[in-house]
Formats: sequence, structure tokens, C-alpha cells
Amino acid sequence: MEIKIVRNVLAANAELAGTIRERTRAHDILLINMMSSPGSGKTTLLEKVIPLLKNKGVRTAVIEGDITTTMDAERLAPLDIPVAQINTEPFGGDCHLGAEVILPALENFDLSRLDLVFIENVGNLVCPAEFDTGADLNLVVLSVTEGEDKPLKYPLMFRVCQLAVISKTDLLPYLGLDLNRLKSNLAHVNPQLPILELSAVKMVGLAELVDWIDRNLKK
Amino acid sequence: MHELTIAQNIIRIVHDELEKIPGLKIVECVRFRAGRLNAIIPESLKFNFDILKKDYPMLDQANLEVAETPIIIRCRHCQAETEITEPLFLCKACGSADLQMISGQEMFVDSIELKQTDQL
Repeated sequence: MEIKIVRNVLAANAELAGTIRERTRAHDILLINMMSSPGSGKTTLLEKVIPLLKNKGVRTAVIEGDITTTMDAERLAPLDIPVAQINTEPFGGDCHLGAEVILPALENFDLSRLDLVFIENVGNLVCPAEFDTGADLNLVVLSVTEGEDKPLKYPLMFRVCQLAVISKTDLLPYLGLDLNRLKSNLAHVNPQLPILELSAVKMVGLAELVDWIDRNLKK
Repeated sequence: MHELTIAQNIIRIVHDELEKIPGLKIVECVRFRAGRLNAIIPESLKFNFDILKKDYPMLDQANLEVAETPIIIRCRHCQAETEITEPLFLCKACGSADLQMISGQEMFVDSIELKQTDQL
């Protein structure tokens, strides 16, 4: 006997993501979900961009997602901003942050005193793309050392994002990377995806990222 | 790795549906459907499902069937529908990038097959 069910497998996550959106909307907070491969420079980018936002009076907090260790959270400590650490599992563990871990992480913050919250997702181009975190915007960081082919290999990631940041451009002179081919591959997968090129360590291109964030702030 | 979370969700949904049906139930088959863009590895999903199902007597004989939905887009300019078979998201008719996803990015439990009670 066949019984029709037709239930969305990610419905429970989507419902929690909706709760997160209600909560951030109530405080006019912009929630940005940063995703990338491991080692693309997400934490370095946060280290450099948060002080620039602070100078503009943007009150920022970060939710750090790592499978294990609090190293990233410790790196952000000198910025003197609220940081909530999520460890999915001490050894191994989950490959993405679902809405069910973002919601309690938000409770660590006094939302009435924030304008912007970054989620630094687990480094992975596959799984995080699948799970709605409740963020207003998804941002993917792709470093120039990763090769031109990544958008074609992980199309869902580049389709769910509203901005692609090409990072570590200071390394381009040392690499055989064809930057135009990388950009054309991004355009193949998502023709409407804006692209920013930057080098966080050389502080190049950060103003454009700050502008993009600024334009999307809710207050 | 997302297959583990998805297998957990499949089992949760099926279990939830079974509770609505009175009597003794043994599930023979669970039919799951994922979009091609979801990049589900069927073998990995089944592997996780087969481990998790052992905790549920109603499910421990169930076979998971995984079907794939093609990626279909509709052009907002010329209304043409195109199946996307390679990572190039443009309308094949007019080349526009202004597309609406029709299918290929959704995952759901489609149906379950129960053993007839006279077979029990």
C-alpha cells in the first residue's frame, strides 16, 4: 500500500530560519551568512572589515561556526565585539550550520545593541549551501588559490549567494590563475551574482565590501 | 556529509506520518526525491538511512529509493522552459539570465510503501 507524503525534507529548518528572520527584523539587524572552502580567508576578512565597519558606527557581532576549536573566535577577540562560538562536534561532527544552532547562538547577543551579525559558516562549499540559516544575505568567499573551476563544481553554493568575494588577489602574480575564466565560470552558474575582488591582508578592495554591507543595512 | 542530516530528516518525517496511521505498520520502501542541484549522493544517503533506520522497528526493513528531479528553468523574458544539464544558467532560447527555477532544487519525501497487514 502506497501512502503519499510529499513533505519537504528541510521544512523544519526552514521554519526555524523564519523565526530567526522575525527576530532579526524586530531589531533591524542585517544577518550575513559567509560561506567558503576551508582556508579561503573568511576570518582574515572579518578581522579587517569589522574595524572599518566600526569606524562607520556599525555595531557588529559574529557567530563563529567550526567543527572544532575556538581558534577563529580567539582571533576575533582583539576586535572587542560580541562573538558566539558554535562547535558542531568535538571530533568530526556536522558539516554546516543549520538554523537550529544559529537561533540559540543569537541569544548570546543583546540584539537591541547590534546592526549587523555575521555568520562564519563551516568551511565547505557543499553542505552549507543547502541549509537556510535565516540570514538576509549569503556571501561566498572564493580565494584565488582555489582555481577557476570551483563555481562549476559547486553550482548550488554560487546560486544561493547574493555576493561573491574573490579573495587573496595579492597572490595573483604568483599563480597561473586565469581570473577572467574564474569570473566567466561564476557568470555561467549565476549570471546575476555581483563579484568583488579584494586582498584583506593588503587592505585592497575592502571599501567596496563595506559599501555593499552599508547599502544593505536596515538602519 | 549533508546526507546524514537529510537521512535524519527523512526518518523523522516518515516516523511522524506513521504515527497518524492506526495499527501495526511495517514500511517496505521510502521514496525520496531530490533536485539535481542538491547534489545528493544516493549511495551515501542510503548508507546513512540504513544505519539510522535500525532504531525504528517500523522502518528497519525499509528500502530507501532515491529519485532525481531535473533542473528546469523558465525564462522571464521569452517564457521558454529549459532543462539545465550543465552548469550554464542561461535561457537556451534567448540567452537571458533572468530565470525562474521551476524544479531541481527541492528535496522531499514523496511516498512510503507499507507491507499489507495480511503479509504480517
